[in-house]
Formats: sequence, C-alpha cells, structure tokens
Amino acid sequence: MVSLTINGKVVQAESGEMLLTVIRRLGIDVPALCQHDAVEPYGACRLCMVEITKESWNGWKNYVTSCLYPVEQDLIVQTHSEQVIELRRTLLDLMLARNPQTPLIQRLAAEHGITKTSYTEVVEPDDCILCGICTRICDAMGFHAISSVNRGHGKEIAPPLHQPPQDCVGCLACALNCPTGFIRYTDDGRTRRIWDRTFDLVTCEKTGQGRVTREFAAFLTEHRGIPEEYFRVNDESHRKELAQTMGDITNSTREE
Amino acid sequence: MQSRLVVNPSLCIGCRTCELACSFAHAIGGKPTLSRIHVHPGGHKDLFVPIVCLHCEDPACAKACLVDAITRNESTGAMELDQSKCVKCMACVAACPFGCTLHDVQFRQIVKCDLCGGDPACAKFCPTKALDYRSIALMRTAG
Repeated sequence: MVSLTINGKVVQAESGEMLLTVIRRLGIDVPALCQHDAVEPYGACRLCMVEITKESWNGWKNYVTSCLYPVEQDLIVQTHSEQVIELRRTLLDLMLARNPQTPLIQRLAAEHGITKTSYTEVVEPDDCILCGICTRICDAMGFHAISSVNRGHGKEIAPPLHQPPQDCVGCLACALNCPTGFIRYTDDGRTRRIWDRTFDLVTCEKTGQGRVTREFAAFLTEHRGIPEEYFRVNDESHRKELAQTMGDITNSTREE
Repeated sequence: MQSRLVVNPSLCIGCRTCELACSFAHAIGGKPTLSRIHVHPGGHKDLFVPIVCLHCEDPACAKACLVDAITRNESTGAMELDQSKCVKCMACVAACPFGCTLHDVQFRQIVKCDLCGGDPACAKFCPTKALDYRSIALMRTAG
C-alpha cells in the first residue's frame, strides 16, 4: 500500500495501480477517451494528464498521463490545476481540428469552452479519434484482425491491405466499444456485415435469431471448450427448456 | 458462511415480483434495467419456474469470456460480471446453456445475476419464499 495526495486529500492505493484508477475511484471526473478496463493503458488521447509533484522535488512539477503513471508514495497530484486545464484545452482544440463533426469531441471541447478549433480543420473529417480501443480489444481477444495503418495524419484503423479481414470472427467488439461509433456494421439477426465481410450467424432452431457468428462459435468450441450444441438455441429458448425440465420434476413430486 | 439462492417452483405463484425487485435493485440512474431473473410457465397447470443464474461450478460464461470479465466472488460464490471490463462480444450470452446471461438492449450492456453482492433483492421480495437465500450450513443441519 502507498499513500498519496490527490487534490489535497490523502488516499491509500495498492502499489502498481495506475493514477487514473485511483482518481476515478475517488469520483473525480478526469476525461479519458482511450481507456478501457479490458486492455492495458495506452496513453493515446492524453486527456487524462495531471500535474504531479513531491515535497522532495523542491517545487518542480511534471505533467503525466495518469492512465500510464503508477502510484508512488508521497506523490502530490492536482487533477484540475490551471495548467492542466490549459493542456486539456490545447488537446481538445487539436482533436476538434481532426474530428470537427464528432459529437463526443464537440461536447468535451464545449465543456472546456471551445466551440470552434483555432487550427485548420481536416478536409474530409471522419469520426475516428485513433484511440486504439478497437485494435487493442481485438488483440486482447486474440484475433488481431484490425490494426492502425500509416503514420502521422495518414494514420487510420483498417484491416490488412484494406481487404475483408481473414482473421475477423465478426464478434462486433471493435464496433460496440468504439467511443464515437465510427466502426459501422449491420446485423439483422441472421447475417452480419462488418469490415466489408459478411458473416452468417448461428441461428436458434426455435426463433431463427442468432447472437454470434459461425466463425466465433467455432472458435469458442475449439479454443474454449464450449460444446457446439450450446449455440443451437438462444438464451430465451434455453430458459424455456430449463423451465420445462424443472416444471416436469416439480409436477411429478406434486402428484405423489 | 456461504449461502445459496434456493428456487422452489412448487411455491411460486408467478407474480413476477422478483423480476421487478431485480430490475430496480440494478437500476442505473434511477432507471430499472433488464431483470436477471425470469419467471417462465413450467408447462403444467398453475406451475411457474423462476429461472436465474445457477452460478455453475464449471461456468460456460466464464470459459467463453476472452477478456476474463466474469469471475467468481469468493465471499458469495456468485459469478460476477465486471461491467467496465466487458467488451459486449456476446460470447457468454450465446454460451450459457441455461440462458441466464442476458443482453440488456436498452442500456447496451450484458447482465447476469450477481446475488446482489450477498443480499439478493428477489428473495427479499418473494412473498411465498419460492426464492429463498439460505446458508449452506443451516441446510445441512436441516437435512
């Protein structure tokens, strides 16, 4: 255990924990766009910057991304000092130049008093903020179907060679965890389309509706040992089957 | 002392108070979420079966989870889903052979019974004790 001071309050934290985790636990609202608990911290958006110092530093201060900074004994943290807010304003100003039409960025920028970027807006803006949550989750799940390509202002998220990805299983984790909804998909309960690839869903024998793709179900059967027959009916039909079985048992004891 | 949520369908009157209690016990910002417990007709006259997570010894939901978001709470014995870790891939929803891991469409989250951290609201509100949260030690002595 280490003890540190956050906004003037002395708090205890497990050693090895990141500053942002402790700050969030205190209920302090520090914006962070690239943070997801399922994956390792990444430090892409840099909005979670805080000011740190120690009494032994003789007045020196440092500005660090709190998602990547492990807690230290006697650390003194300011999450909303004037300089930190100015840093966040600059970052949001830059983000607004890249994503001028993205509601999430517009809202965050407006909260910091920016309605129009002071930089030149990109010509063909999209909603991708390059937080990397999609690619990191895809990697964490073990599929590695998408990644970031190119560098600098040409950087984007794409499957290899911009072709429908061979390693994708259509689990939708990338799209459903995208903070801006940039990754598009369609799903009608029977087929699913994402990254220009069409997947057939494992449909329920009774309702005809599906939850997971054939590829994902096959992966779970092969690598996680989930029996294939578990996927044949959906959750509602599973519950009805269980109710019927338990009902039959209860009824037989009732008649005796 | 570990307890179990005991479901006795012969006492259930199908009032679905448990579903309501569950929805409100897991409310987000005052709005009720999808109930983790569902009362289904048992296929016979006047018979209802409350279906709720069985917290299996070898749970398919946890095995299917590729980011280890579903883990056992050692103090209650419940399989709990960590909402901040969940990536909403639906593997657990599809894998559960009892259909007790659910997709809450309204709040865009996956939900499952967590025994309310050791004090299940459904059992507290059940008027007929069809749902009863009992300690294992007491069950053993009662036979």
